[in-house]
Amino acid sequence: MRRWPVACAAAAGVLVVLPFLLPHPDVPDFAAILAPPSAAHPLGTDQLGRDVAARMVAGARLTLGLSVAAVLLTGLFGVAVGLLAGASKGPFGAVLVRTADLLAALPTVLFGLLAAVVLGPGVPALLVAVCAVGWTPFARQAHLLTVRETGREYVEGVVALGATRARVLAVHVSRNIAPPLVAHACLRFASTLLTVSGLSFLGLGVQPPTAEWGAMVAEGREYLFAAPHVVLVPSVAVVLTAAAATVLGRRLSGGGG
Amino acid sequence: MGRRLPGVVLAAVAVAALAAGCAGAGSAGGADPDGEITVGLQFPPRAAYAFEADDGARLQSLGVAETLTTVDDQARPAPGLATSWEQTADPRTWRFVLRPGVTFHDGTPLTPDAVVTALGYVAGVTAPPRAIRDIGFSVAADGADAVLITTAAPDPIMPMRMSSGNLGILAPTAYSGGGQPQVLRTGTGPYVLDTVNGTDSAVLLRNDAYWGPKAGAARVTVRYLPDPQTRALGLQSGDLQFAEGLPGAAVEQVRSAGADVAEYPAARTVELLMSQSTLFGDVRLRQAVTAAIDRPTLAAQVLAGAAAPASELFGAAVPWGATTPPPGADLARAKALLAEAGHGPDRPLTARLWTFPNRPEMPVLATAIGSMLEQAGIRVELTVGDYAAQEPDLLAGRFDLFLNSRSYLSDYADAASTLTSDYTCGGSYNLEHYCSPAYDALIQRLAETSDTAQRQALFAEAARLLTTDAVGVMVVHPRNTAGSRGVTGFVPDPLGVRPILPSLTRSAT
Amino acid sequence: MLLRRLLPLPLLLVVASVVAFALPRLVGGDTDSVVRAVLRARVASATPDPQVEAAVAAQFGLDGPVVGQYLRWLGAVLRGDLGLGYVTRTPVAAQLGDALAVSGLLAGCALLLAAATGIPAGVYAARRPGGLLDRVLSAVGIAGVSVPEFVLAPWLVLVAAVWLGVLPALGWGGPQHLVLPALTLAAYPAALAAQLVRAETIDVLARDHVRLARAKGLSEGRVLWRHAARLGCVSVTALSGMFVAGLLGGSVVVEVVFGIPGAGRLMYDAVLARDLPVVQAGTLVIVAVAVVAGIVVEVVALLADPVARDREAAR
Repeated sequence: MRRWPVACAAAAGVLVVLPFLLPHPDVPDFAAILAPPSAAHPLGTDQLGRDVAARMVAGARLTLGLSVAAVLLTGLFGVAVGLLAGASKGPFGAVLVRTADLLAALPTVLFGLLAAVVLGPGVPALLVAVCAVGWTPFARQAHLLTVRETGREYVEGVVALGATRARVLAVHVSRNIAPPLVAHACLRFASTLLTVSGLSFLGLGVQPPTAEWGAMVAEGREYLFAAPHVVLVPSVAVVLTAAAATVLGRRLSGGGG
Repeated sequence: MGRRLPGVVLAAVAVAALAAGCAGAGSAGGADPDGEITVGLQFPPRAAYAFEADDGARLQSLGVAETLTTVDDQARPAPGLATSWEQTADPRTWRFVLRPGVTFHDGTPLTPDAVVTALGYVAGVTAPPRAIRDIGFSVAADGADAVLITTAAPDPIMPMRMSSGNLGILAPTAYSGGGQPQVLRTGTGPYVLDTVNGTDSAVLLRNDAYWGPKAGAARVTVRYLPDPQTRALGLQSGDLQFAEGLPGAAVEQVRSAGADVAEYPAARTVELLMSQSTLFGDVRLRQAVTAAIDRPTLAAQVLAGAAAPASELFGAAVPWGATTPPPGADLARAKALLAEAGHGPDRPLTARLWTFPNRPEMPVLATAIGSMLEQAGIRVELTVGDYAAQEPDLLAGRFDLFLNSRSYLSDYADAASTLTSDYTCGGSYNLEHYCSPAYDALIQRLAETSDTAQRQALFAEAARLLTTDAVGVMVVHPRNTAGSRGVTGFVPDPLGVRPILPSLTRSAT
Repeated sequence: MLLRRLLPLPLLLVVASVVAFALPRLVGGDTDSVVRAVLRARVASATPDPQVEAAVAAQFGLDGPVVGQYLRWLGAVLRGDLGLGYVTRTPVAAQLGDALAVSGLLAGCALLLAAATGIPAGVYAARRPGGLLDRVLSAVGIAGVSVPEFVLAPWLVLVAAVWLGVLPALGWGGPQHLVLPALTLAAYPAALAAQLVRAETIDVLARDHVRLARAKGLSEGRVLWRHAARLGCVSVTALSGMFVAGLLGGSVVVEVVFGIPGAGRLMYDAVLARDLPVVQAGTLVIVAVAVVAGIVVEVVALLADPVARDREAAR
């Protein structure tokens, strides 16, 4: 299990260092359009002669950055809601959880479409869409865990010793439900990544010419036959990252409890 | 060698597929007049085939509805449902003689009253089509075989206006229900519109009672497929026999799958607008931008031949268009002009460049143009965003550079309305705020010129004047593509105002 | 009580209706700019004309005070009249109905496919946790949740339609048109179902009554599959509840890539064309579907799970 943080740190380090070694991701080179991989361009060039490797790295920073930001935002909010709902006994908590249940059943794409209509396609609309429902799985998970945790004997013991309810929640319960929530966050990161790149693929998120994996797939689809690497590189990047996050999440939830 | 490799592999797989007996129909062989074809078209009927909508010419291009006139290859008016026309003694009125023996798909005959009903309807909607808007249009029957069309002021181009697909004539029953005309089985064209499936598809059947050459297929299934890659793959997999608007990079692949791909010019220009209200009031700066942009490279390399480099507003799609290619970039001249206007390395010109993503080539072109301008020392901030959000600022001239894609023929083969709205001092879409008395005087002469050849000469002169004044950079003229596989007889229509489907015939297999 | 769990559902519908109604105003600001947006959606070069604008405002119910507009709009919606599209000019209810029928068929096929592959895969994997089959299935499952539709769909088309030529690449009509899109849509729910079923099966196999049944001589296969049948029923409803709204309105990528006239593509085209009544109606319908699915899942879960039923009754 200790290897995962190291691997993540290494990946982040690579993303920071690589841009200094690769050409600029947005500068075209009309003499090398759709060139196959070579020493100068390790993953080839795209329809404007831009370096695909550089764009993949630039896209990684945007795609992953947006996904991480969305997971953090929705995670904090969702867990807070879940804790609150789990701790409160009245109908208030029930309504909160039911609202989360219902919103969770709505497709994120619906919010993507609505946000694109109201705000116009772009990064703000993308974030709104991802966050609108993204908090609900966290809330449901945190609620379940909180209910289970507050039912345990030690909680009654702590309360008997004179601790306030809020303190119990903040200190004891949070500490015990944190590990499964971190595992959950990894799984959410994978699905958020797919949503971010999916909305950008549809033109509802990150706009060209900014490098983003989904947008790169959309731009490159035309060249599927002429230069398959233009589509393959961002596709593989999306799939591998999502798979890695899923595996990590499952390991954490399986072995880390 | 490495570059070729994927192609070789794909070819090998294709050969294997053929050997496995999965071959599609070849394009050789004779024609099968009773064949059925499936075509993939680019733009769905957004407004349920309404004539006054932006895409109101859809019924005409399908070969379902027809207009009083059409145009010939020289973009001159030609007989359609009317066989002849003349300006009457009162120059505000034109008389159109109707073609005898024409019947609508519902069996009723084409009469002057039917024409009055049809044109009266479209002239009376809330926002009538551009071809007849704001000209005091009225129509009346004249005897048993003619109609009189009258306008508030003498109109030199009424026969041309009547070729607009927005002015299709349907049977009187189509209009009897009130509201939107009923488009099923009410046209006169070589195809009968039999079924409409929203924006997804439509079914056309051959009109065996057509007055002209009969349509090439017994039945056509029209699929509206807005995604270009889907159209290309459909042609390759054999699901479609004809598709328009193929992505540039897919042409080669579609050809190797056994399809014929026709490439022909479109009456459209991608123009880099330079607002004269903000940065670009100085003609030297506009000339510097023009000199910095390498248009041949943009067309040949960046768009991979999917466009022709533009030297003027009008291109090869129209008889009066310029066909000489523009010069490449002249960075020395661009830098000299910038220096002359007071900009240099220590005081660089900084411009915002806007465009929109609805046409996929626009962000690509904008990126490339931005990098070319940077080469000349102009700093560019590129923004790709929703057109609707930008429009108020654009109309007010509050922008520096805007990459736009615009059709220069508005609904019929005459450029007067684009030249007026986009470039005259009072033009309603004059985004650049260009204002030249000499240009306006030239456009004024169009109002009294009815001879098509003379008008075309004036259009060309107006375009040259715009080039001299460096009004915008005419970047490229996109090319249209159309792929046929298993059908023959496609006739390209660069003007985009004539039907495309009736000539297609299934090859016999 | 069940009632209390169901109470928030109609509230969500009311909220959705207000959001849907407010959409043109969120986009366009005041009523005047909404009217101009309507005109621009219909005719590109419309020049401002007060008379035309007044006529359009009346035609689309955009005149009078806002609260009155909302009530009139809501009344019409409740009567099943979703208005006319700004751009398409045809009744939205009919457009949406046709599109939902298409998406519904597709969603049903995708869910069936997901259940038919995911549940047996989960049961098989659970027979020997950590075994070769479990590991292989787990890898496939991770691929299933990691490969996005926009990657999977083009490659399926490439392989099945272009290279092998056995299935159509696009379109809608016959059963052959269902295969590739349903496969694409089923990947994610199938992987999820397999994962859930695997965990539950391992759980069940460890329970006392199963051990007892085995001791009584019932074959392991019988035990497994009897359990699987019951579990399958519950998971399929749960899956449907989770995915049906998403599949009905959210399979935009698949419907765009395969050229399928479903509700997702209708909404997507309407967003691009700014045909707001279609977006409004689509939003309402998708929320309503999610709400109904929520109720159904709730009830089925109660009926299928005796423990939960007793707990509810005791409250």
